[in-house]
Amino acid sequence: MQKVTDGPYTLHTLDNGLRVVIERMPHVRSAAAGFLVRTGARDETPPLAGVSHFLEHMMFKGTARRTWRDITVDFDCMGSAYNAYTSEDRTIYYGWVRKADIGKQIELLADMMRSTLPASEFETEKKVVLEEIAMAKDNLEHRAFDFLQEKVFAGHPLAWPVLGYEDTVGPLARDQMGEYFEQRYAPDNMMLIVAGNVNPKEIIGFAEKHCGSWAVSGISAKQVPPDIHGGTDVLTVERFKQQIVVLTFPSISACDKRAETAGAAATILGGDNSRFFWSIVQKGVAPRAGAYHLEYTDCGLMMLYGICQPENAEQLLEAMRVEANRICTERVQEHEVERVRNKRRTSLAIESEAPYYRLAQLIDDMEYRGAPRTVEQMLAEVDAVTADTIYDYFQEYPVNADGHLASAGPRRWPEGD
Amino acid sequence: MSDLVHENLPCGIELGVAPLPQRHVVSFQIRVLTGACAEPADKLGLVRLIGETIDKGTQQRTGRQLSDAFDAIGASHGGATGRETATFGCTVLPEHFAKAVALHAEFMRTPTFPGNAFTASVQLARQELLALQDDAHGLADKLIGLKAYGPLLGRHPLGEPETLDRIIRDDLEDHWRSHFHAGRMMVAVAGAVDPKRVAEVLQEQFDGFGSPYRDGRATFPVEFSAGASHHHKELEQEQIGICWPGVGATHEDFPIQQVILGVLSGGMSGRLFTEVREKQGLVYWVNAWQETPRGTGMIFLGASTTPDRCDRTYATLLREVDRLANDIQQDELDRAITGIVAALETRGDSTRARCAELANDLFFFGRPRSDEERVAKVQAVTIEDACRYLTTYPRDRLCVVTLGPRPLADSAIEDAHPNDSAPA
Repeated sequence: MQKVTDGPYTLHTLDNGLRVVIERMPHVRSAAAGFLVRTGARDETPPLAGVSHFLEHMMFKGTARRTWRDITVDFDCMGSAYNAYTSEDRTIYYGWVRKADIGKQIELLADMMRSTLPASEFETEKKVVLEEIAMAKDNLEHRAFDFLQEKVFAGHPLAWPVLGYEDTVGPLARDQMGEYFEQRYAPDNMMLIVAGNVNPKEIIGFAEKHCGSWAVSGISAKQVPPDIHGGTDVLTVERFKQQIVVLTFPSISACDKRAETAGAAATILGGDNSRFFWSIVQKGVAPRAGAYHLEYTDCGLMMLYGICQPENAEQLLEAMRVEANRICTERVQEHEVERVRNKRRTSLAIESEAPYYRLAQLIDDMEYRGAPRTVEQMLAEVDAVTADTIYDYFQEYPVNADGHLASAGPRRWPEGD
Repeated sequence: MSDLVHENLPCGIELGVAPLPQRHVVSFQIRVLTGACAEPADKLGLVRLIGETIDKGTQQRTGRQLSDAFDAIGASHGGATGRETATFGCTVLPEHFAKAVALHAEFMRTPTFPGNAFTASVQLARQELLALQDDAHGLADKLIGLKAYGPLLGRHPLGEPETLDRIIRDDLEDHWRSHFHAGRMMVAVAGAVDPKRVAEVLQEQFDGFGSPYRDGRATFPVEFSAGASHHHKELEQEQIGICWPGVGATHEDFPIQQVILGVLSGGMSGRLFTEVREKQGLVYWVNAWQETPRGTGMIFLGASTTPDRCDRTYATLLREVDRLANDIQQDELDRAITGIVAALETRGDSTRARCAELANDLFFFGRPRSDEERVAKVQAVTIEDACRYLTTYPRDRLCVVTLGPRPLADSAIEDAHPNDSAPA
């Protein structure tokens, strides 16, 4: 239908709305392909919490042409490095293969996208998902993050966990999943991304052949941004030994032009060789302390966190607050910004090497900016970050207010001490 | 791959270089041949403390100034301590390679081990030990490692609370003086570099760094303990770990072992994933893997499942291993081989991954190996080879560790060991 070529990138849209994004990497020996489906936990209704993730498992269980066994055997016959994952707003299936196998890889992934959700596999796979939920409960960080989302986004779909709950996954019926699948796994809600040593014309041909007949659903991708809640919430789980302390503040979305600035600010505050590293980790307060900019298409959070011995929680919180206040009230030093820029340049060079690394960046670019960015564009955005842009960011999105405080671990703190 | 370079530098460093001129970065890995196995028995955790403190101050700079200098060149760098080695890895743009090596030389040659950094490192190590209690997989690995390898090779790099208490700052300096020498260093470099220039830079930076004589290449004894042990812990899932002796990385049967592990667990069509997860839904996580300390090898099976399913999971894991010798099929052998060969090309597109492979070759084989050499030995594996391997190295002595709310039932253990000495 439409085809646009810009440098190493080719963008094409099939008649049924499936977008195809291709990056040529002529110097590599491999290629990676992935399907992005714009669906995740935030697209679910409360009784269906966890359906997106469970569905991701079921997509490996059979098609009109392949049994689950055929699917796994076909992946392994290529020696593919393959998997899938689900988040709050997307589900991704990918395979990384030798360049000669990219056509077979796309055909297999495309076939999987038309799953028959075999009834005979549904209950067995449900057990696997319930085991995954049990495994997550043994992980303090996983529990703390789910708890944080539940409280900060309370009342909004972003509040429920990607894996769902035992009491939503347990009773889930195959028909309910089938209905969700029909709505969400339509070409106008999906994208095929390919990177590596490939011929774009051939890739478009594969896409036309294997995906061209998929029916459009006309689904609306419109999402309602959440309200972000403050306050203090405590999750007490006595069997863990450590305490996680998280301060959360509203921030910009991933689509905002200042996203690079927010990322740099988080790095200065809580990355390697950061203010947190020297004032918290190297002071022996907590073995881990950091800052992370969590971003979605319509909202974002700046999260300041640390993991410590329970008795150090007050000291950790105080140290985080001190540094948060300092970065809001005093301009960061230009040499701090330059350090972050230098590291970003190296990380971009590392990321540009391997097709699999490129898939995630291409997906982000398409979702947040509508087009892939060239290395030059990315470097220009990195270079545009200054002490002033960081100062301006914190004026608008301060992290020295109360924010939201989440505490998870064996200690009932700060409420119960 | 014919451009691979292997050279023993006059300073004592054993160097391997994989020139990859079209890459945009350079990765290098420095391995110092000292790790947890080289520590005094009453001061476990010592080498990791050195690794954490060595870059926190030099005769020229404070730790923070050193970190700033690394950031000034955009270096992505870090260190790790294992049983046998202390490793320092770095990736930079090619124009910064010499500076990155110089910074490594600075902290490796002239560390001051500042008192406050030492104190912080000990405090953090204690907290890391606490963190391990919240990491069910990591804790199970630690527990089975001790049983698999014994008191020397089975040491955990973090040490123990009581041994950390005994370590003083001077211990770090003493161990550094006796073990951080160029003759104990292996350096692997991959990326857009000129091998000749790499050798010059390393020689210049490490000339006169301790003894140039090759040292630290000895292997450590394994004391394998067959038997079953349970460690109670309040968890949602039971962690199951099983291991038995295999062969080391340089053994002629190692490629066969690699392929057999591929058949068991190389991809989702592997036997364990198929039989334990896909057919029965017993687990989310199941895996088979190998560890290869120098001169030896160990096979591991692992799974986590809710307590009422652990007996069945355990039985299925061992049933699949036993079944292999009777019915291994050509198609699954082919898939396992393809998986290993394809990974060389896919992961090989990452300079960092290429560097890690080269570093392993230096460590295990004492020389770089080409992709062709790796591929040829794996591709030559036949069903007859696999059957011979399974007969020669039977799983007749097992070490089994469970971590969680309940032990395996006696009947499950006995059923899985009909013809051999069941774990006590």
